[in-house]
Amino acid sequence: MIRGWTARLLGGATGLVYLFLYAPVLLLVVFSFSADRNVGRWGGFTLEWYREFGANENVQSALAISLQVAIVSTLVATVLGTLAALALERFRFRGKKVFDALLYLPIIIPDVTMAVMMLLFFTWSLDLVDTVTGFQLRKGIATVVVSHIAFNISFVSVVVRARLEGMDQTLEQAAADLYASRWQAFRHVTLPLILPGIVGGALLALTLSLDDVVITQFASGPGSTTLPVYVFGLIRRGVTPLINAVSVVMLAASVLLVVLSLIAQRSREPGRATTE
Amino acid sequence: MASAVELKGVTKRFGDVVAVDDVDLSIADGEFFALLGPSGCGKTTTLRMIAGLDLPSAGSLTIHGEEVGPLPPNKRPVNTVFQNYALFPHLSIEDNVAFGLKMQKVAKGEVGRRVAEAIELVQLGGMERRKPTQLSGGQQQRVALARALVNRPKVLLLDEPLAALDLKLRQGMQNELKALQREVGITFVFVTHDQEEALSMADRIGVMGDAKLLQVGRPEEIYEQPVSRFVADFIGRSNFLPGTVAAASTVTLANGASIPAPTADRAAGTVVDVSLRPERVRVEQRDAAPDDVARLDGVVRSATFLGNAMVYSLGFDWLELEARLENRPSQQRFSPGDEITVWWREDAIAVVDGGSG
Repeated sequence: MIRGWTARLLGGATGLVYLFLYAPVLLLVVFSFSADRNVGRWGGFTLEWYREFGANENVQSALAISLQVAIVSTLVATVLGTLAALALERFRFRGKKVFDALLYLPIIIPDVTMAVMMLLFFTWSLDLVDTVTGFQLRKGIATVVVSHIAFNISFVSVVVRARLEGMDQTLEQAAADLYASRWQAFRHVTLPLILPGIVGGALLALTLSLDDVVITQFASGPGSTTLPVYVFGLIRRGVTPLINAVSVVMLAASVLLVVLSLIAQRSREPGRATTE
Repeated sequence: MASAVELKGVTKRFGDVVAVDDVDLSIADGEFFALLGPSGCGKTTTLRMIAGLDLPSAGSLTIHGEEVGPLPPNKRPVNTVFQNYALFPHLSIEDNVAFGLKMQKVAKGEVGRRVAEAIELVQLGGMERRKPTQLSGGQQQRVALARALVNRPKVLLLDEPLAALDLKLRQGMQNELKALQREVGITFVFVTHDQEEALSMADRIGVMGDAKLLQVGRPEEIYEQPVSRFVADFIGRSNFLPGTVAAASTVTLANGASIPAPTADRAAGTVVDVSLRPERVRVEQRDAAPDDVARLDGVVRSATFLGNAMVYSLGFDWLELEARLENRPSQQRFSPGDEITVWWREDAIAVVDGGSG
């Protein structure tokens, strides 16, 4: 009965993989409800840590900064990323292939490299502003936002381009043929059809911004600590159940955003089924 | 008659490729005009230039006397039915049809009235709220027609309008399109690679090949008097008998026989082909043919039964001919190996320039 054996073996392996992936998540969630101060020891069910999450001023201010950074950087990156996607997908110009490759580079650049780049860039450019105008600028929320916009543009444009590629271009020609100006054709045909891609890209950008530690840490200054960076700082002083609770909240938010992003991107393929 | 569309020396180049080469064409108002040719001949590019989706590299293009060469598509009094229909998938049928009127900022009440009229015209009443994907191919085609016609264009352009439909539906739509064109009285220009479609629907046909407009004429003219071997070969089937012009109205065939033929004003010595349609070839038992006509002796090589006709491949020592004989009770049948004589009426043939192509 090789068949039975193989099936059992594969089933076992699959179970192991899922155990490996989700046991830590499960542990995290379980111990975030544990009343014992020592992480890893069950001390009975409590919501104390979530209460503290709501009450802790440091956590709350970090959360507020995280949300500010995420929302602003997502809005800007979504607009710029969508425009970049439209330019690369709809126009032919010199050096298009190079721009194409350059736009995707931030996706594969290691976070640390990106972070060091940002640090250098901000140090250098803030110095430049200082010498030229005399304004003494410091790294803060603004620099964090700029760095998040920088990496999010790439992700947004990848998602939007995938949607644009799937869109039948004769639809835009049909709009033009039906007396639509370029703007009207975009507003009434292209935009509604790629909107799921834009929303998907935006939700992805929101997630990435909320989760980022490495780049944020290098780009931030005093008073611009985001939630993940704050948690990372806490861990160095030892893991407390509060961290578990914060992590669970962040996990839940991320999962929710990614699921929403996928739902948005999956919604009806544009202009495909018309000829069938 | 006023010209609805007039092209003068219109040329389109894509990089080094000449897609449309120096085309002169005048399409009359109210005409049902077909641009016919094999794929890649430039017919679709010509249509797209009239629509404004491609701009000419050279030449002049007027619509009802107005130069439109450099105008974008949204500034031209023409509408297009696209090959894949290009219906907006996110809009209902009603909104698809209303699109052009809304873009032109037509008053709301009038939009509603005209959209209802157009939907009625193409017999899609009751489908207003559906999305394009919920319709069959034939229904989508009607929506595309209504969406274009609702704007009352001066010229309606149709790019292979029937290519995406299956055979039965296609034949039905041929009749409908023709009836529709008579009803609305708008100039229709349609592109097709299907010669039967062009012959049966169009008032006039323009045959294109290799970026050039080769011949323009009524379907009968194009079929009976093709100007070139390419046209004769593309429209229907044809045999070509090589020869040279001997004198006015006489051609010496490659086997030495002299036959009367409409040589037009070709000089003696010009190399020509005599085009002879398979259904115009008369086949008789050897020596049963009339005496006073051009005739050739040959042998039946093969016979193919098509139901409504028999197609014979006939062998001669210098060429092969295809003959198509209608399947009538009175029609004699032949078998491979039969010795036969072939003849044709003098007005059954056309003379085209010989050699290649």
